[in-house]
Amino acid sequence: MSDNKKKKILVVDDEKDVRDFLKAALTEAGFEVTEAEDGNIALEKIKSEIPDLISLDLVMPRKSGAKLYRELSKNKKWSKIPVIIVTGHARDDLGKADLRELTMSGPGIYLEKPVKPNNYIAAIKKILNMDTTEDEKEKAELVELQSDLKNIIDSSDPETLKKLKDLLNNTKLTGD
Amino acid sequence: MSRINKPPDAIYKELFQQVPYNVAVIDRDFNIVEANQNFRDYFGRWRNKKCYSVYKKLDKPCKHCPAMEVFKKKQSVVFDAVGIDQHGRNTHYVAQVFPLKTGNRGKIDYLMEMSHTVTETDRWQQEYQILFDRVPCYITVIGEDYRIVRANEAFRENFGDVLGQHCYKVYKRRNTKCPNCPAEKTFKDGKVHHSTQQGIGKTGQKIHYAVSTSALMRDSDRVAHVIEISDDITAIRKLEQDVIEAERLAAVGQTVAGLAHSIKNILMGLEGGKYIVSLGLKKNDKEQINQGWDMLERNFDKTTSLVKDFLSFSKGRLPELVIINPADLVYEIVDLYKDIAAQSGIELKCEVSSKIKSAPLDRDGIHTCLTNLVSNAIDACLMSDKKGTEVVISLTERRDKLIFEVSDNGAGIDYEIKKKIFTTFFTTKGGEGTGLGLLTTRKIVKEHGGNIKVISQKGKGARFRMEFPRKRLASLFKQSKEKE
Repeated sequence: MSDNKKKKILVVDDEKDVRDFLKAALTEAGFEVTEAEDGNIALEKIKSEIPDLISLDLVMPRKSGAKLYRELSKNKKWSKIPVIIVTGHARDDLGKADLRELTMSGPGIYLEKPVKPNNYIAAIKKILNMDTTEDEKEKAELVELQSDLKNIIDSSDPETLKKLKDLLNNTKLTGD
Repeated sequence: MSRINKPPDAIYKELFQQVPYNVAVIDRDFNIVEANQNFRDYFGRWRNKKCYSVYKKLDKPCKHCPAMEVFKKKQSVVFDAVGIDQHGRNTHYVAQVFPLKTGNRGKIDYLMEMSHTVTETDRWQQEYQILFDRVPCYITVIGEDYRIVRANEAFRENFGDVLGQHCYKVYKRRNTKCPNCPAEKTFKDGKVHHSTQQGIGKTGQKIHYAVSTSALMRDSDRVAHVIEISDDITAIRKLEQDVIEAERLAAVGQTVAGLAHSIKNILMGLEGGKYIVSLGLKKNDKEQINQGWDMLERNFDKTTSLVKDFLSFSKGRLPELVIINPADLVYEIVDLYKDIAAQSGIELKCEVSSKIKSAPLDRDGIHTCLTNLVSNAIDACLMSDKKGTEVVISLTERRDKLIFEVSDNGAGIDYEIKKKIFTTFFTTKGGEGTGLGLLTTRKIVKEHGGNIKVISQKGKGARFRMEFPRKRLASLFKQSKEKE
């Protein structure tokens, strides 16, 4: 890592295994990591020191990721912190509504569990405008594209999706 | 008094006038030679008129003349006919015609026709028949030998022309009486009985019907006929099945989505473990290898418990009801959790009302429910920052309902989560829960014909109440006994 100062990442997840995993990957990539097991603890940590990026789970006991995110976006200083959402609830009822609101309003992307460590790191580096290898750049772009596509799919109404699908099918048939 | 002194023929004449029928005397040429006041009032003027002209306002004799028959056979006949009264209205009447022997050589010169109008009765009869036939349900009347004596139109349309046949043959193509026959019960006790049955229509189609039976004669000592009224519920049954199927499909969808989510979480743990182990190997860091390995082990264990929970949830068994003392179950659970709670500084209390009588319950099922609720309550206490947390298990009885309650003063459940707690795979416990506990609990409670409710406010603890109406437990118990 070429930056003289290590970037600080706050990993928020209620599952210790997930925190340990992400922490290991981040430490390996040269980041400094702090952890929080729910939204309340995360808020305390942010108050004492603003991280360069927050890796956030959505569904957690006490204060959920969605609630924390809403609080952050109301604060002028905190609203600029980039957020990467790592969730298993991206496409179920529990996370979907929250997620749609989040991805519409703030910086950041989301990843769906299970994540590959390389993709995770590449995505974070991209968000933080850090130097990346060609491979990392490619990965990050791919992750971003996936995230964007998921966003589009999740926020589209089924009718539009159906039309889109028909359109694609027709294109294939006529060879255009 | 003075009448007694009248000559006899005057009495007969008076009698003739007062008979409450329409009486007319007719000769061989269809002339009405005499008629009483009733006849005059009903059919109008008759003097110097032919019978067909008076009765039917015709100008020639009727096609089938009963009078001619009487003249021929010298015997009386009874017939019914439609005539026209003096106001031009159709009238239905029943008449008896008998020969008047006036001549010496047995020759009949006159006949007397006594008629009685039945227009009103006939109308009632017709209306009754229409009503009987057109009501949109099946009506049959059966005798003691279970043969059908009457059947309405709806019945005939669906089951064919069946008069005289055995009802069980017609309804179900059986050769013997149906088990649980409501008609049989009515024959025995004269009371109304209901049941739902499945029969076979005349084209072989399945017909579901709800049948009620009642005695045709209420006040007699013996029930000679039973009236069976059945409502075709085939369409309703189909709708019910459609709804159940739709719900089942929705549940399958939810279950699959939930399962996918649980598996995703486990995969994340396995991915993490694998990664940390590989990092440790690369750096030859034994501590890191151990950390990763533990993570792998934990997530393998999770797979096992997920599969176990999942299987126990998907098992669609009926509760195995045994008469037990519900209080014993509560004490068992308290014993089971006393130490675990104490270790975490949580007080586990138990309040059992002394009046609880035994009840048919599925011991294992209720045990599972209480275990789930108590372990949830302990978790809620652990999640709370409060001191002096407690979990209370109580057993009471109110309004013939057995009530188990598990309450805690822990973290409570906020509104958003309350909406989802009985949903498949919902968990706020991160890696600790599979999200099946409350769902399984609800399933078991419902299988007992009971209900589960949650009363909770965030930060103020939670109270889960399982209610079991004794009536339903009793009927489930009866059913399960019958099956054995």
